[in-house]
Amino acid sequence: MDEVPRANGESNDHSNPSKKPKISSSLSLITQLQIQQEFAHHQDGVARINNGSFGSCPASILAAQRRWQLQFLRQPDSFFFNYLQKSILQSRTIIKNLINAHHAEEVSLVDNATTAAAIVLQHIGWGFAEGQFHKGDAVVMLHCAFQAVKKSIQAYVTRAGGSVIQVELPFPVRSKDQIIAEFQRALVIGKANGRKVRLAIIDHITSMPSLIIPVRELVCICREEGVDQVFVDAAHAVGSVHVDVQEIGADFYVSNLHKWFFCPPSVAFLYCRKSPLSLNLHHPVVSHEYGNGLAVESSWIGTRDYSSQLVVPEVLDFINRFEGGIDGISKRNHDAVVDMGEMLAKAWGTVLGSPPDMCPSMAMVGLPASFGISSDDDALKFRTHLRDHFQVEVPIHHQAPKDSKVGSRNGNNCITAYARISHQVYNKVDDYIKFREAINQLVHDGFTCKVLSQK
Amino acid sequence: MDSPQSHPCRQLFELKDTATATATTDADTATNHNHNNHTAPQKPKLSSLSAADLRSEFAHHDPAVARINNGSFGSCPATIIAAQHRWHLRFIQQPDDFYFNVLQSSILRSRTLIKDLINADHVEEVSIVDNATTAAAIVFQQTAWAFAEGRFNKGDATVMLHYAYGAVKKSVQAYISRAGGRVIEVQLPFPVRSNDEIICEFRKALEQGKSDGHKVRLAVIDHITSMPSVVIPVKELVKICREEGVDRVFVDAAHAIGCTEVDMKEIGADVYTSNLHKWFFCPPSVAFLYCRKSDETLDLHHPVVSHEYGNGLAIESGWIGTRDYSAQLVVPEVLEFVNRFEGGIEGIRKRNHEKVVEMGEMLMKAWGTNLGSPPKMCSSMVMVGLPVCLGILSDSDALKLRTHLRDCFGIEVPIYYRAPKDGEIDPITGYARISHQVYNVVDDYYKFRDAVNKLVNDGFTCAFLSD
Repeated sequence: MDEVPRANGESNDHSNPSKKPKISSSLSLITQLQIQQEFAHHQDGVARINNGSFGSCPASILAAQRRWQLQFLRQPDSFFFNYLQKSILQSRTIIKNLINAHHAEEVSLVDNATTAAAIVLQHIGWGFAEGQFHKGDAVVMLHCAFQAVKKSIQAYVTRAGGSVIQVELPFPVRSKDQIIAEFQRALVIGKANGRKVRLAIIDHITSMPSLIIPVRELVCICREEGVDQVFVDAAHAVGSVHVDVQEIGADFYVSNLHKWFFCPPSVAFLYCRKSPLSLNLHHPVVSHEYGNGLAVESSWIGTRDYSSQLVVPEVLDFINRFEGGIDGISKRNHDAVVDMGEMLAKAWGTVLGSPPDMCPSMAMVGLPASFGISSDDDALKFRTHLRDHFQVEVPIHHQAPKDSKVGSRNGNNCITAYARISHQVYNKVDDYIKFREAINQLVHDGFTCKVLSQK
Repeated sequence: MDSPQSHPCRQLFELKDTATATATTDADTATNHNHNNHTAPQKPKLSSLSAADLRSEFAHHDPAVARINNGSFGSCPATIIAAQHRWHLRFIQQPDDFYFNVLQSSILRSRTLIKDLINADHVEEVSIVDNATTAAAIVFQQTAWAFAEGRFNKGDATVMLHYAYGAVKKSVQAYISRAGGRVIEVQLPFPVRSNDEIICEFRKALEQGKSDGHKVRLAVIDHITSMPSVVIPVKELVKICREEGVDRVFVDAAHAIGCTEVDMKEIGADVYTSNLHKWFFCPPSVAFLYCRKSDETLDLHHPVVSHEYGNGLAIESGWIGTRDYSAQLVVPEVLEFVNRFEGGIEGIRKRNHEKVVEMGEMLMKAWGTNLGSPPKMCSSMVMVGLPVCLGILSDSDALKLRTHLRDCFGIEVPIYYRAPKDGEIDPITGYARISHQVYNVVDDYYKFRDAVNKLVNDGFTCAFLSD
């Protein structure tokens, strides 16, 4: 049934989109060869162990996206009036079921988590500007929040008179209890002079360094400490950890679908739990749909290519060709990345930045201290060096040790840099061996970052 | 089968007599009026398009549809779609490398070409955004902050045209009214007979804005209104704004580039935006936002804030999170395409205008109606009156008639409902906004003519259409 060619870009078998598709017994599971074919467009020769930054998209989904694009180009007016909105609704409904939201209105599609952050923070900004919040009321964020989110807080909250409480998370970290304790402490201190905390922004999976944050527990603490609203920035979450918005209990929750959920760039969902406050969220690009609810506003923000939002049904079909569907994929990714991480740490005499149960489909692997990576700039240059000279694509995190006793050790020296390795279905062991060998070569050559600064 | 010589396309364009698309050298500058010999790769200029080439460039359009609505969603030739796919694929193949090594320089290249096209002074003045709707949000958010931060007084005015685009009106509401600004709409007559009518109403609105000691902080002026579509004398209106002490002038020229002359220094606005996917053959979607260098422009921000925040609007807009930026990268390829036509974009625009006026007059004669404005106030679009007997009595009727024309006659054309004024006897209440772009043929308009004639003969009225 799923073999019927979709000539006009429309997915078949969506008479009941709310039903979770099961693996059809007539469909065999995807084979290794088919997986390689699906990702044959990835650049040859590159050990692509950075799925976390920009994600990946299989060839059959790209083809589906083209069909949607062509349908629009062929007769855009008809597409706009007759197809677009209901196709977006179909995608939203699938996501609602995936994340266990109660209502489709709670699910809006936006470009990416960066856009979702702007939506939530602009709403907070108005709260200050219109006097619902007092100057000095606070927004809480993690110290390692994504840079775009930090800037967004500056642009909308600080500018409007709000203050910011940063929670320093330990890294390397040994258990989620450390994070819970640190968060609790920082929140109490932050509120100390009677400030009201209007919003807490909590990553589900931090970007750099990458860790799974115990969001459920932190949301509980937020409620106990009287935080008005909680926004979970889960850019990496869908497709790498289990996502249940009822369990997590946040007011707002965003995840990209192009990172770990095989959608083309770019598409994300923003979940907003139904409440009187959520009525006042708006997409910053205002169209004629203004006032019809965020989900409807987001579905038309002027003439654009919405095709990446429309392939969610096709993506679900793709995922269900894997054993265990998305849960199976994410579990195997996790197991493999931990395996590979431990292999690398052993080979280099370093450590992982966190225990395996805090790793999603990514792991932070300590790099040899001898490289002398001592700044963010060094880390970026080192990353470029790996790309240009070894064809290894992996982001590098610089971690300034608080004091030499606390940091992790590599021999007698502190580890100051970690590589964030990813594992997605297209990765092979050879990718990590290539990385291992590159680092071994650099150590052998006595490489240090000082060499890069001379360029 | 039509030979290239007799094919309807031939009548519309002065095509060169090349049978095949072989490369010619840059020596043939006579036909290249564009001042853009600075595209980075020095390739030999392609020969112009034959009628067959042109047909195949737009072969992906639904052949059953008389597509006379280029104004709404624009159009994109196959060559450009292919170029876009190539850019898209480059990202997908190795996104990190693309992000670090290719993206920003490619966006800068597009911005530089646009800067030259529109006669801007500095490339920092040119930002690329998704569409005019996004540009409007950027401008209005700045105004909202000025109210919120006390630089503007509650009650200071924003003046805009009554026929401003629906999204723009909502955006003004969402940002400016919400922040305490007062909005004054310029009532424009339609049908309209001359620029003077528009100028007169505009002056009145400015006076209103300045009443009670308030200032007019922002004027939002369409270059070409959407519905009904009319070319607005922006240069004159901007001048009046300066004379009357309006703080800032924002020209919403969603349709303009490729459809009318666009010269930033001539027009003199502070901020100017135009879509490139409507009349400039770019894929959906891409627009430029021009912001004349000044202290105020430092405070313009893209509402989707990334790590580039504070580095200037053009840089901020160059990265708003992971997305597909490919539509922004094909401007060089589009310029190449456009220069395969006699006279480049100017030639295209001129011929579109002449042809759409000709078709509009043909239709109006056939139906016994009139045009909504004189030809010199038309761009590549014309408002053609529909027979009164069709009984278009509301916006809803207009939309239903449009759907009926699409579903039953294979004609795509937007319909505008023009409410009757007091004292008018049997006025025309419905206007069709016909467009002409390079892919259109005379038959498209004959099909429309015949469809309406049939409806009239059948005694059709909008009352027959169900909800």
